[in-house]
Amino acid sequence: MRRIVRAFFTGSRLQSVPRYPLCASHQRQRGAALLLVCFVLFGPPRNDSIAGKPAVPPKGQPAPVTLRFVSWKPDHPRVWEEALARFTAAHPHISVVRELAPHSSTAYHDLLTQKLKNGDTTVDVFFMDVIWVPEFAAARWARPLDDKFLPTMREAFLPATTEIGRYEQHLYGVPSRIDAGLLYYRRDLLKKYGFTAPATWDALVRQADTILAGERTTVPTLQGYVAQFKQYEGLVCNMLEIIEAHGSSLLTHDGTHSTLSAVPALEAIQFVRNRLIGQITPRAALTYQEPESLALFLQGHAIFHRNWPYAWELANNRTRSTVAGQVGVAPLPGSTPGQTAAALGGWLYGISAASQHPEEAWALIEFLSSEAMQKRFAQEAGIAPSRTALFSDPDLLAHSPQLQNHLTVLQAATPRPRSPIYPALSHLLQRYFSRALAVEDLDLRQEAARTDAQIDRLLALTRPRP
Amino acid sequence: MTRSARLTMSRERLAAWSMVAPALLLTVTFALYPVADSFWLSLHHIFIGLPQLGSQFVGLDNYLALLQDPVARQALLVTLGFVLLSTVLELACGLMIALVIHEQFRGRGLVRAAILIPWAIPTVVASQLWRYIFNDQYGFANLLLFGDRVTDYIPWLAYPTIAFGIVVLADVWKTSSFAALLILAGLQLIPDDLYDAARVDGAGAWQRFRHITLPLLKPALLLALLFRTMDAFRVFDLVFVMTQGGPGDATQVLQFYGYQTLFTEGRIGYGSAVSVAVFLMILALSLIYLRAIGSSLLERKRP
Repeated sequence: MRRIVRAFFTGSRLQSVPRYPLCASHQRQRGAALLLVCFVLFGPPRNDSIAGKPAVPPKGQPAPVTLRFVSWKPDHPRVWEEALARFTAAHPHISVVRELAPHSSTAYHDLLTQKLKNGDTTVDVFFMDVIWVPEFAAARWARPLDDKFLPTMREAFLPATTEIGRYEQHLYGVPSRIDAGLLYYRRDLLKKYGFTAPATWDALVRQADTILAGERTTVPTLQGYVAQFKQYEGLVCNMLEIIEAHGSSLLTHDGTHSTLSAVPALEAIQFVRNRLIGQITPRAALTYQEPESLALFLQGHAIFHRNWPYAWELANNRTRSTVAGQVGVAPLPGSTPGQTAAALGGWLYGISAASQHPEEAWALIEFLSSEAMQKRFAQEAGIAPSRTALFSDPDLLAHSPQLQNHLTVLQAATPRPRSPIYPALSHLLQRYFSRALAVEDLDLRQEAARTDAQIDRLLALTRPRP
Repeated sequence: MTRSARLTMSRERLAAWSMVAPALLLTVTFALYPVADSFWLSLHHIFIGLPQLGSQFVGLDNYLALLQDPVARQALLVTLGFVLLSTVLELACGLMIALVIHEQFRGRGLVRAAILIPWAIPTVVASQLWRYIFNDQYGFANLLLFGDRVTDYIPWLAYPTIAFGIVVLADVWKTSSFAALLILAGLQLIPDDLYDAARVDGAGAWQRFRHITLPLLKPALLLALLFRTMDAFRVFDLVFVMTQGGPGDATQVLQFYGYQTLFTEGRIGYGSAVSVAVFLMILALSLIYLRAIGSSLLERKRP
């Protein structure tokens, strides 16, 4: 057997078949088969090894570079295309190829990390969800940007939006769109019943009850509050906000233990279970992500709606929304009136550690996060800016008066647990929250204690061992 | 043995090996090597997000942890429930479909083609379809049941038990026709004389079905059972598209759990252990089946 294998690979003839030398066509076939086997075993040949080194550019001109930019499919594709066209016009030697990934953050994560895990050099720039920073940093997938994102440049951004890109001592991301949860409401309905935006969850439920009692005779499908309670990443944000508003948190202050069994955290779950779902929130919200819940609000079927800043643009777009012009926006209720409890979310620009063009990649990031571009994205795509100066920009304020809210909310927003194993933590949290809301007879205390123990075990892994 | 005879033998063996080699190579590369590698990985503790832990050899620790993992236990229960329910329903529906399209009637070719349509639709598309059918606001199921009475509309996928039922339903809809195809092949092997003889003896339709069709169909039914159970054990895409395991882990199946731990959480060792566990369960099942089928199908003595 070994002899045959050796013969097959070396192409030398076996001694026992001397009488029928392989004719030329057979040899060709064998060569092709060998090539196929190599292809299967070692993958296709790299482009550069076939094409050879790129032609030496004429003196004084930089060599042409192709940047690969992994991005989600944008809501407003035209704005992004224009931005990239402007960048390549200013940098004629750089071309940018965008690779569009799934919109869902989790699906995007799985796709991108597959590439990064393998040290794929065809990724240069990517969007990085704020919850991935510790993981990407610890796994050394993202390039530290301390030598590029210098303090002089950082000063222009809101500290909350740059700090989220930090892990341990280093910075890994530049803010692209940093978001926090907001409360959207029907200004016309609240005004009709003499209400202003609710400052507590109790007030929100009371207002919704009153309005529903009056309006359901004419609009039977009207709902009080719609948000995202499906078993997915967004559920963690929604529940984090309500738990914070009840004066608790997901982890202890030092981030070493899970606190789901704490009384206020249990009360928060009871509140959603007993006073929202099936009462002022349709049970269907257990299957809703952002688009489904926003659709109800845009069709005028909801009084209150929790979403990210991008919803403002859509809610006031007359072609897509029946409530355009009647939408109000406020910070989500906090633990005490005047406080807000909002989950911090959003995306940063990052550079792959395996990128062979970090300088060009940085030029692209610097351009896209410049003040002029952030202003354009805010005006054309409803992307909240992260540069402090833009929050007092007269053009932007005239265009989106909710900007002041964003500023307050961004500065007070709570990030989700910052850990290199966040995806695993998140799955445990999603399970617990979804079971707590969807399963009928559930021993909530027991479930919370069990999840606490599971999360504590995971967190213990991240601590350096003596 | 003369020298030339020995030479011929070794030449034949060489020819045999060289003909088997490509298939062998492919099997080793694509089946044996990944399984062996998964098993090897499953004996380690590897966390992508924690490179400082390195890749520590931990023996069977991951498997012991798997036995105590409440999520894995839940996923196992859901998977077993799914396998049992979907296989039984698919065989029952498949048998009925096969009996119908086995009969002679006008337009039979058309009906046969129509029955294969669900099977020809990619699972991802079919899952999306069923998700829309049971959508709470614009789903066809609600429209059919309640018409304009929008306030009565039911959010089907928001109830754990119903969501599980819908995933089973989607699978039954999609793969019953495959079972029907296998059973139809079995039906066509049953000689018509047997039915004629039974008719002469005065057997009714039910008696003919009970005493001729069913016993002679046993090999085909077992084969369909084998294919369907093994396939149902590997259910992934339906759950991935329709529910993502929710609500409250009601549709969390083992394969999806394995995917989550491996690809999203980056727990390479533990995720591999989940996959290997699923592999071992399917292997055990197929061995049991092959033994059962082997005695009735493969080793059947000639009359």
